[in-house]
Amino acid sequence: MEPPLYPGRFGSSPGSGVGFAGSSDASVMGTNDDATVSKASCTKMGYVKDDFVKYFIKRFTKRAPVINRGYYARWAAVRKLLHQFLTAAPSENPNVPVKKQVLSLGAGFDTTYFQLQAEGTAPAVYYEVDFLEVTSRKMAAIAHHLELCNILPKYAQVQKDKGEVRSSNYNLVAADLRNVSSLEEALKGAGFDPSVPTLILAECVLIYLEAKDSEALIRWAGDKIKTGVFVIYEQIRPDDAFGQQMIRNLEMRGCPLLGIEATPTPEAKKQRFLNAGWQRAEALDMDAIYTHHLAKADVQRIEKLEIFDEFEEWHIMQEHYCIALGVSDYHQTGMFDRFGFWPTPASPRTQRRSPGTPRTPVGD
Amino acid sequence: MSDLDRQIEQLRRCEPLKESEVKALCTKAMEILVEESNVQRVDSPVTLCGDIHGQFYDLKELFTVGGECPQTNYLFMGDFVDRGFYSVETFLLLLALKVRYPDRITLIRGNHESRQITQVYGFYDECLRKYGSVNVWRYCTDIFDYLSLSALIDNRIFCVHGGLSPSISTLDQIRAIDRKQEVPHDGAMCDLLWSDPEEIEGWGLSPRGAGYLFGGDVATTFCHDNKVELIARAHQLVMEGYKWLFNQQLVTVWSAPNYCYRCGNVAAILELDEHLEKKFTVFEAAPQDVRGVPSSKPAPDYFL
Repeated sequence: MEPPLYPGRFGSSPGSGVGFAGSSDASVMGTNDDATVSKASCTKMGYVKDDFVKYFIKRFTKRAPVINRGYYARWAAVRKLLHQFLTAAPSENPNVPVKKQVLSLGAGFDTTYFQLQAEGTAPAVYYEVDFLEVTSRKMAAIAHHLELCNILPKYAQVQKDKGEVRSSNYNLVAADLRNVSSLEEALKGAGFDPSVPTLILAECVLIYLEAKDSEALIRWAGDKIKTGVFVIYEQIRPDDAFGQQMIRNLEMRGCPLLGIEATPTPEAKKQRFLNAGWQRAEALDMDAIYTHHLAKADVQRIEKLEIFDEFEEWHIMQEHYCIALGVSDYHQTGMFDRFGFWPTPASPRTQRRSPGTPRTPVGD
Repeated sequence: MSDLDRQIEQLRRCEPLKESEVKALCTKAMEILVEESNVQRVDSPVTLCGDIHGQFYDLKELFTVGGECPQTNYLFMGDFVDRGFYSVETFLLLLALKVRYPDRITLIRGNHESRQITQVYGFYDECLRKYGSVNVWRYCTDIFDYLSLSALIDNRIFCVHGGLSPSISTLDQIRAIDRKQEVPHDGAMCDLLWSDPEEIEGWGLSPRGAGYLFGGDVATTFCHDNKVELIARAHQLVMEGYKWLFNQQLVTVWSAPNYCYRCGNVAAILELDEHLEKKFTVFEAAPQDVRGVPSSKPAPDYFL
């Protein structure tokens, strides 16, 4: 293998706050723009219905089918969990509606709030947190597009100087996730009440933080949220050939996966939740989720959208991402007893190959 | 130095030809390719190569480890274009070598040598970007229709891009195909370019939506009936560069290292000497500094 292009991959510069010479906040924020363009491509090609993502991109770029399908897989998997959360009812009095909220960390330009509002399935309140630079741009886009403004409740306030949005059901909050106390302060200011059943979402966010920072965040959430779930989508398996290349490529972009060595496997991600006070945890790689846990009819629909000739690469890529989730139900409401992708239904295809080895396609 | 030699030099520096030169080159190539059989006879010694996919600097690396053409006799098993940044230069270099040294290089067709696929996977866009029109794409895709479908080395090794077809049991049936057309969506010609071997018995449906999966029993019968000892093919990424299947009756050869600048795999070529003794040479991607990823090009895509 060729040596890493950037020296000091695991180096850390004490006191810099960022901790890695090759990691820059600007590059990490840049991953939001990249993801938004990919989501727009995925939408335009018909994988996902999202009437709002187009307001957050400067220029449309069509992505390769393997990327479109991968964003679909991520969207569908997270959607499935969101839906489970939003419809979850306590074991006693299942018909009494429960107020719920979503807290999206490093939300970037994600449009889930707008989609859920348009569908009429949104939770009582939706909080989004990101760097001030990102929330400012998101706020500006919302203020600029009537189609987005119209989704917000009537008395929404756009706070230009703070780069934030306040309303009864949507709050855009600027904070640095590496500083838990300031995050807590910022959320408090936006009216966040941790006693409300909460789904915390972090898609490709914590992996850019140093392990100590993501652990602190998950522990903070574990302490505060006594009834809720924490859903993480991020990279795994840094040690095989694909993983090594992924690490090199993302280092070159200035957004190294600072957290991947501390949680390199689904098992490690699961353990991170359990160590941080979450009562139950699960994790599964995206190849397994796509194969076993997404709605069959919809998967069949999207598999017909584009010519697809990237099977080996598809499986390898999906094996290098996972969804991990932590569940807490300290008041024993029973609301989240069945939350997650599990138990895995018995299937002849659940047998795992070692990651990174190519799979010859299976004809099902 | 002839125009053609000059063009080859130019292409070796990864500089594309003028549109008019491409047109002339394609015309000459067509005259050569039209004479080739659907099962093109190739004599050993020969070096077998799998997918290249526009990774020009890795093709240069391949020639460095395998020897330059015409000193080395080459057989490329298709998928010259799409995915990489330099499909134009890659295909034109191979084509120019074919015209210059027709008996020292054999090019057979892959499933990406198709109008439809190249519009999805990059070659069309690249031609449009580099030439400002789709003329070069038209010339090249017209040439694709003339590429042979398979090759037979010393009557002993059958080479094809994808694999076998339930409509084909003899080489003569392949010879009878009218290949001068866009790759059809089904049928024998499609299957040869799209099928994959799989640890099954008989035939299976392919998840690719084209071609079939075929098992070891199918390969054994085909080899026996056609008196060949090995099926060599490409088409599937293998992280180790090559992979044996079915008791060494079939081998996959993959020649695009670090495929899509993302997969981290090594690549391989299969060198066959005059006795058909086999030697795999594994090679890595050209180092990033000589690989010339255009600075305007974004890094490979991930889910971010």
